[in-house]
Amino acid sequence: MQLTEFFTEDVIKLDLQGDHKDDILKELISLLKLSEKSEGILFKMLKRRENLGSTGIGRGIAIPHCRSLVVNHLRVAFGRAKDPIDFKAIDDKPVSFFFLIVAPPLEVSNQYLPVLGKIAQLCREPDVPEKLAKIETPAQFLELLDQKQV
Amino acid sequence: MHPQLEILLELQDLKTQQRELVEAAEDSSHEIERKVFRVRPEDAAAQLQAKIEEMEATLAPDIANRYRVILDRRARAVAPVLSGICYGCFMTVPTALPQSNEEIRWCEHCGSFLYFVD
Ligand SMILES: [Zn+2]
Repeated sequence: MQLTEFFTEDVIKLDLQGDHKDDILKELISLLKLSEKSEGILFKMLKRRENLGSTGIGRGIAIPHCRSLVVNHLRVAFGRAKDPIDFKAIDDKPVSFFFLIVAPPLEVSNQYLPVLGKIAQLCREPDVPEKLAKIETPAQFLELLDQKQV
Repeated sequence: MHPQLEILLELQDLKTQQRELVEAAEDSSHEIERKVFRVRPEDAAAQLQAKIEEMEATLAPDIANRYRVILDRRARAVAPVLSGICYGCFMTVPTALPQSNEEIRWCEHCGSFLYFVD
């Protein structure tokens, strides 16, 4: 399994406009093209997860994630903020890069945790924040995933 | 969406999250939350439990009754419906039922509340 199987260009946004945590979460959710009602429920669930502890894992990266009935298969998105956002990350540094992962409660193929694990692994690589900052097109994001062989 | 169905959905999502946090196995959500996100799974699960109880108290009495009856028999109270199939029991939901979340409906086979996924 490779992360490139899950990302498509339409779920990659390199100029997120929001300047608060909530706005950023909403912008990421909107990339999934769900109904308005589903977006609202998903937002609440992601907020509840953030309340348990920020998903900002340091070095400018956050991985908001949850399971929810409102999606019928694993969904991912990537967003980069114009300006770094205060996301209460574990290193207290502002966050620029956001990987969103949402999965239904029951998945036949059980991809949620492996995908979450792979994204976390990618984010631990020393040169990844710098590379994410330099990307100019969604296609380049996909190329980076490919290069990193995750 | 029916406001009570929305509560049922949220309750179920919270319970899913909580269940995963307490199942400590290798490569589990419990381990990922602990190692990658530095969350204390026990504390997080307790926090979710409090929220679950708070939300359960907001269910209307008739809905709350059915909710408890289903949970006595099954792990989950709400079943998603995908392509006309109830994912609680994998039986077909009669097409005579409007495929809508505006009303509270349940599966005639397994009794689960039904949520029609987008
Ligand atoms: Zn059923």
